Amino acid sequence: MNKNKKFEKTIGRDFDPIEMEIFSNRLMAITEDMGNQLVRSSFSTNIKERRDCSVGLFDKFGRCICQGSNMPLHLGSLLGSTNAVLERYSIEEMSEGDAFICNDTYLANGTHLPDISIVTPVFLNGSVQFFTANVGHHSDVGGRVPGSISGSSKTIFEEGIRIPVIRIARRGNIDADLLNLIVNNTREPLERELDFRVQIATNERGAAMLEELARQHGLSQIENAINDLIDYTQTRVRNRISEIKDGEYSFTRHMDDDGFMGELVHIKVTIRIEGEAITIDCSGSSPQARGALNLTSSGLNAAAYYAVKSILDPQLLPNSGLFDSIKVFSPSGTILNPEFPAAIGARSITANKVAGAIFGAFEEILPKERLMAASHDSVPVITFSGQRERGQDTYVYLESIGGGNGARHNRDGMDGVQVHTTNSTNLPVESLESEYNLLVDEYSLVEDSGGAGKHRGGCGIARQIRALGENITFSARSDNHVTTAPGIFGGSSGDIARLIRNYGTDKETALDSKVSVLELKLGESVRMETAGGGGFGSPKNRPLEKLRLDLISEKISPTFAEKNYGAAMVRDALSIDTRQLWK
Amino acid sequence: MFRIGVDVGGTFTDYTVLDESAGQVYYYKVPSTPDDPSRAIRDGIAQLLEKYNIEAEAVSHLGHGTTVATNMVIERQGSPIGLLTTKGFRDVLEIGRQARPNLYDYSIGKPIPLVPRQHRLEIPERLDVEGNIVTPIDEQKLIEAITALKNADVDAVAVCFLHSYRLPDHEKLAREHIESIMPNAYISLSCEVLPEIREYERLSTTVLNAYIGPRMQGYLEQFLNRVKELGIKIAPLTIQSNGGLMSVNTVRKYPVRTCLSGPAAGVVGAAEVARVAGFENLVTFDVGGTSTDVSLVSGSRPLFASDRSIADYPIKTPMIDIHVIGAGGGSIAHMDDAGALKVGPKSAGAHPGPAAYGKGGERPTITDAHICLHRLNPVALLEGRMPVDKKAAQDVIEKNVANPLGLKTEEAAHGIVRIVNANMSRAIRSVSTERGYDIKEFALFAYGGAGPLHAAELAVECGIPKIIVPQEPGTMCARGMLLSDISLDFVRSEISEANENSWKRVCELFDVMVTEGHEWLEDENVEENKRSFVRYIEARYQGQNYEVKVEMEAIHSNGLKEFLILFHKMHEKEYGYDIPDRAVEIVNCRLQAIGSVPKVQQRPQEKKGSLEDAEIGKRKVYFGSAFGWVDTSIYSRSALPIEENFLGPAIIEEMSSTTVVLPEQSVEVDSFGNIIIEIKA
Repeated sequence: MNKNKKFEKTIGRDFDPIEMEIFSNRLMAITEDMGNQLVRSSFSTNIKERRDCSVGLFDKFGRCICQGSNMPLHLGSLLGSTNAVLERYSIEEMSEGDAFICNDTYLANGTHLPDISIVTPVFLNGSVQFFTANVGHHSDVGGRVPGSISGSSKTIFEEGIRIPVIRIARRGNIDADLLNLIVNNTREPLERELDFRVQIATNERGAAMLEELARQHGLSQIENAINDLIDYTQTRVRNRISEIKDGEYSFTRHMDDDGFMGELVHIKVTIRIEGEAITIDCSGSSPQARGALNLTSSGLNAAAYYAVKSILDPQLLPNSGLFDSIKVFSPSGTILNPEFPAAIGARSITANKVAGAIFGAFEEILPKERLMAASHDSVPVITFSGQRERGQDTYVYLESIGGGNGARHNRDGMDGVQVHTTNSTNLPVESLESEYNLLVDEYSLVEDSGGAGKHRGGCGIARQIRALGENITFSARSDNHVTTAPGIFGGSSGDIARLIRNYGTDKETALDSKVSVLELKLGESVRMETAGGGGFGSPKNRPLEKLRLDLISEKISPTFAEKNYGAAMVRDALSIDTRQLWK
Repeated sequence: MFRIGVDVGGTFTDYTVLDESAGQVYYYKVPSTPDDPSRAIRDGIAQLLEKYNIEAEAVSHLGHGTTVATNMVIERQGSPIGLLTTKGFRDVLEIGRQARPNLYDYSIGKPIPLVPRQHRLEIPERLDVEGNIVTPIDEQKLIEAITALKNADVDAVAVCFLHSYRLPDHEKLAREHIESIMPNAYISLSCEVLPEIREYERLSTTVLNAYIGPRMQGYLEQFLNRVKELGIKIAPLTIQSNGGLMSVNTVRKYPVRTCLSGPAAGVVGAAEVARVAGFENLVTFDVGGTSTDVSLVSGSRPLFASDRSIADYPIKTPMIDIHVIGAGGGSIAHMDDAGALKVGPKSAGAHPGPAAYGKGGERPTITDAHICLHRLNPVALLEGRMPVDKKAAQDVIEKNVANPLGLKTEEAAHGIVRIVNANMSRAIRSVSTERGYDIKEFALFAYGGAGPLHAAELAVECGIPKIIVPQEPGTMCARGMLLSDISLDFVRSEISEANENSWKRVCELFDVMVTEGHEWLEDENVEENKRSFVRYIEARYQGQNYEVKVEMEAIHSNGLKEFLILFHKMHEKEYGYDIPDRAVEIVNCRLQAIGSVPKVQQRPQEKKGSLEDAEIGKRKVYFGSAFGWVDTSIYSRSALPIEENFLGPAIIEEMSSTTVVLPEQSVEVDSFGNIIIEIKA
């Protein structure tokens, strides 16, 4: 397609790129300010340290103007909350100083119950013109297990308090009774209450900044810039899509099970490109999961938005211009569109498999240089719970562990990183040991876990933790004990993941990928080894010096090397002069 | 006597000389010599000693800032090193915090670890969180590992064991063996470089220290020799990233503390210059060719960062919190295929540079925009020494921006400037709200070659009411070297609930650090009456995993209650609430040992000359659609009268910079020579 033609189309009507760019910065300054306020003032580690939260601005029609987030899984989830509010109440029913709260998947477009949204109408000249919104992942919202999420929960009723759209503040006053009800249905009422108050204040701050902006520059100028911004983003997405040849491209990723031992779960994605339009059709995916691995529309959309942005144009702004350009479909009653009251707590593993399947479907579409072999495509989570030594209360230590990233055309896959819809950081070993009666035996990369190839897949991570007290329980939700991350262009798959109790002792036993409340005795340990990423290109083409480095750095063993690269290549690699490499 | 500050930059080495008896300041500049940075230092000092007729013996202070360490890391030109670490943890350096560097863009990979895996050797040993030995160190394995590193020809060895900040014995034992097996190796122990909880940041800092250690020794020798060659008798000092000075001996041990130190001196200088001028809260705004440095000064003290990184490698030594924005004079404006006008982050840099500089630049830069608008002198810069090609600037902007948008050239150029101001404004707001400050209570302190060009419009965009432009804004960092004290930071990490029992321990820790501080200041030749100490306790509520910094005037045995009151108050101030009945945990005890350096006050200047005399010409300058082209007076900065208020528009030119004043803004030069611009609300 002729580039200039598209260009002319964009700068038709009153499109003003200078004002658009300036307002884009001014609006992002507001979301950044809100994000800073939320992170700075929140109490819980999950929101403050791991930044598992997002903020956004919406117009009165519920269109997303801009969003700030460290969690791609939140992309569009605030859109869901804001539209749930608009479905429940008309803007005429709202008053200045109101704020709404919601988390429910089936009643308020939430992705899972721990993600609780606050949505606040912004009044200008006496009527609602915008909404400010934010969502935070609260580390416990009640339910069957500490931390609220278990792969083996069967219904949403086991997963904590369900909050439909509720007016939590009226005309500037927080409804203390309601707040009390909500926080006392969780295991950490004080943390919840502090963080809810911060979430409400964050939206008020964003609203005040929007009012100031309107006062300085006038509402109509802001509205023009917003329309331009959304149209521009849409044009940019369409330009990217129209560069791709029309057609249908499918890819299937698998999960070991649906939360209960059984058959492999299929995550099938078909990308349909028609001119400037893209549809992501999930037909052919497995039926609704018995356990908590179901993914509802908000989460599914987020995975799709994330993948398209990441693959086609990482600089795309996260607003309705992007979201509206991507059609997502999944038939009802499946794991990617479950029916009430299916459990959804562990949906992030599924979301990452969806993202992985979309990346896979693009393999047929894009040139080699823009592709990546499959990554571990999971969010493996371990949870330990016990008694605090200082103080009397129960602790819940939860951590998601990175794995191998897929290799690319010009380099090996990254070792030990979070992929796709999450990017949370680890808890330092020394902090962990100062906080809980646990000892970390090992935190390392897993030898032989990255798929062989011209470029090697990234290695998984091993984290082995030992109980230093009695009455410590362990839970896990993970995947990849059976399925692996496939390589690309002849590259091999990464290794599987493992969960092992008492590794290296005579009591060593393998555990399933989902473990619910396992009691550990003093001195017992659990080791999680996450999966590796896939390789890129045939192992035959791996440069000898890289193979040699893999061997001497012990990222691969001699046995693995001989099996995957052949004895001759290994011999040649090892005969390279070391000094030269080193210098 | 004369005090000299030297700032070695990538392109230029800047000098500031203070004549203590006359209270006069001289500025000087020579091209840098990157192959041996000490050569430019020597040559420049020799030239200015001659130019201002100064005897080498009369130099009473030589402060220097160097980018040698920073560049070594950025260019990955450090030494081959090995690492000894606790069994089971050799990959901590490579895993880092396990986050990927970019959320969406997988073409960006993780930085390569500075120690390859085969040279990260594990030693059986283990301490627990209280410093008790869980597994005694295996000396046989230790000796084997060191021998292996020796055979691998490494020049330096870093040692970082888990929880060594509680008990340094195992690391110190490792040092003994390294010294006997590898007598020439540079050694860096985590218990000395950064005895602080959180293993990855401590490890990364220790490894960086080892990585730059050996080559830094070589640089320091050369530097000392050059100073000696000049006949200068005093011991020269080096600026570190906390904005304080230290002796060459201390730099030898902790070279990592000089990383990212250059801009720190500028901030220290800004804080002091503004304090004297009566401003204590600042946003410092230093615009260079490819990037802009922003930091906050509150109550005349620069704010410190808890974590920064260099080329994506974290450093956790105390540092002035400087945020780098990827926009500067060379940033390129371009249209994308969906019709947006973007400025940066790509930069034309020094080569090919802006189109107007005639060195082959063919893409429109911010500098080109300023020339089109006549804000920068459209004929020549650097007091006439550097001609500019206005036609070339107009052509690139017309072709790449104005024509596609159907705008006049000046409208397009102004659009480019407004967009970059909006980018910078957003970054400045974010820096201040991240720390919980209201930007309206701050003044904008603009320096660097291009800071004063943007300040007037930027302040309007951000809502900042006042601007300060110091004299010769292009040499602020060298000036900072004259205004810094000698200082070193000490830390002890021991997590405990704050109660009478643990408070005794806190007192002990501070006593030990004060003793160490005195010893260090003694080594730095600081007299006792010039010594002072600043004490901080970092603490948190139980269940939190982040700390609040509480400054303590003194630590005495019955001070627990006072500390708790201050902690709750500080938490309230920082985060908006406190929880008085919740247990408090003490995490880090910090001490900054300071040796104060005499700072000659800037003397108020006499009122002289008149505005008319200072006017060196008039030209039409473009101030946006509201004003259009306005006939604007051009002033020579050095000739402007003191304390005489006048209204913009105005352009004020000097050797290293140009200041823009918008129509209706009011401006005057204060008695210390600073330009003060007031923005109407």
